Amino acid sequence: MLEIIRRKSVRPGSNGFSDSGGGLSAGKRRKHFLIGNRIGYVYLAPVLIFLLVVMGFPILFSIVISFQDYTLETLISGKTAFVGLKNYEAIFQAPAFWTALKHSAVFTAVSIFFQFTLGMIISLLFVRAFPLSQTMRGLMLSGWQIPSVVTGTVFLWIFNLDYGVLNRILMFFSLIPEPVGWLVQGDTALLAVILTNIWLGIPFNVIILTAGISGLPEDVYEAATVDGASYFQQLAYITLPLLKSTILAVLMLGFIYTLRVFDIIWIMTRGGPADATEVLPTFAYRLSLVHFDFGRSAAVATVILVILFVAAFFYARNAALENM
Amino acid sequence: MTALFWNRRSRANLFKIGLGAVLTVLYIFPLYWMFTTSIKSPEEILHVPPVMIPEHPQLESYRQVLGLATDRQPLTMNALNLIMNSMIISTYTTFLTLLLAVPGAYALARFRIRGRSLVLAGLLIAQMLPSVLLVIPLFVLFRPLGLTNQYAGVILADTALALPMAVIILRASFLQIPVDLEEAALIDGGSRIQVLWHIILPLIRAGLIAIGVFAFLTAWGEFVFALSFLQTPELHPVSIGVYQFIGMYTTQWDSMMAFSSLVALPALVAFLFLQKYFIRGMTAGAVN
Repeated sequence: MLEIIRRKSVRPGSNGFSDSGGGLSAGKRRKHFLIGNRIGYVYLAPVLIFLLVVMGFPILFSIVISFQDYTLETLISGKTAFVGLKNYEAIFQAPAFWTALKHSAVFTAVSIFFQFTLGMIISLLFVRAFPLSQTMRGLMLSGWQIPSVVTGTVFLWIFNLDYGVLNRILMFFSLIPEPVGWLVQGDTALLAVILTNIWLGIPFNVIILTAGISGLPEDVYEAATVDGASYFQQLAYITLPLLKSTILAVLMLGFIYTLRVFDIIWIMTRGGPADATEVLPTFAYRLSLVHFDFGRSAAVATVILVILFVAAFFYARNAALENM
Repeated sequence: MTALFWNRRSRANLFKIGLGAVLTVLYIFPLYWMFTTSIKSPEEILHVPPVMIPEHPQLESYRQVLGLATDRQPLTMNALNLIMNSMIISTYTTFLTLLLAVPGAYALARFRIRGRSLVLAGLLIAQMLPSVLLVIPLFVLFRPLGLTNQYAGVILADTALALPMAVIILRASFLQIPVDLEEAALIDGGSRIQVLWHIILPLIRAGLIAIGVFAFLTAWGEFVFALSFLQTPELHPVSIGVYQFIGMYTTQWDSMMAFSSLVALPALVAFLFLQKYFIRGMTAGAVN
């Protein structure tokens, strides 16, 4: 067996030290047969280079131009100048920014609260099999990968003022006296996009929470049942505490995925009416591709990035603790 | 019999079935409403109270969206063309994602890479980045290279969206294959590429299918890059088609829902057949 390894390790041009494949002596090579091999970097390089160019560069570029006077004019002339914190001062003084931030906070908090609560109820309900449970759970996850543009369009139709089914049903049961313009009036538009987003996020929450709950040890529950603990006692004193890290992961990822929501809002309301559904991502997009104020848009983007990084840090720390 | 039926456990089950049914009906309703609207007659769509089960189904809406002859006004857009564009973009994105993710994930699972935890943390952060943040800088990067008003720019950007998650999921798949198996094959004289291709990849087929479909659907539904990069209508994918349809034909609800149903179809079919792969991959990616 050693013969084969030695033969394999001695290749033309190998000097025994720096060759990527057979650099180490036969004995050492056997030991680090798979792990201590520089060819790994060759396998890793394409994906790293790709992500650095197509994701790393844009993020860096975005941060850089957030400190520059970068408009359509300067984009064309190429004469961009550093202006320090001017873009940040400008957005922090703009009421529109604070409105968007407030909407983002409400949108994210309310969405996550209901996505998580419903996700938890659904996961707990379906985790122990009963007749039809598999079919029902399958159906509950079916919307998961549906393009957001489809979700937005369908809810646009459901919330429609004149013919939307929501108004029709609410009026049929006399819950509202006249049709509500869910998406065309300022005080309900945010609620409508939040409802849409809650629907959108349920499968994700169910999938992760179900995985977490199914991984919990059975015998603890058996012991608790023998001791006469009720379902809700078991939930409060066993399930939720044991599930802490999964819950944290779901909430953190939910926060990140919800804060960045752009598609459904742009499709359903374009941030309107007026600015009733303007959130940070739509605000940033509007500044750049509608007003061509790339510098300020980048400043808003950087604010989003900082918020996401803080969340990602907590998530990563939580995940890292889990893996240790 | 009744005594048996009404024992504690059956009552609990009945309660669960009832609650489950209510939640399922509420959840599935938007999709049900999308599909039934698409086949309702115009009278049924406007009917008060709303028609829950279409009694006069029609397929004219689908014919109209697909550009077939109907007695309706032809649309200025053709869903077939849009679907074709999305197919091209999604297929290339899938291949590019697999091509880059497989060796990368393999390296992260099998080799001693300096800074590996940094790379993994970077991937976790990368998959959280909103496309709205990337779109302007990418536009500035792609424009001088002539990549903006082309499939290529969207394909590259979509690949970037799918790639971090793909590497994370695939790495988890590779880690489940015992190293001994690979060593044995290498000792038997296979080259590393041969072993990877003939022995390891078939073993992680489930993971490959999951990320392939994930990449395909990411590109299929992607909205921001397509909206910002592609000016020529002939290049538009389905997501932009649906978006523009809303603006142009506000009152043709059956056709709008027919179009939406067609766009939702790949996601629904994929989910139906690949549910377990998806969920396994998803949980591996998010929890680990």
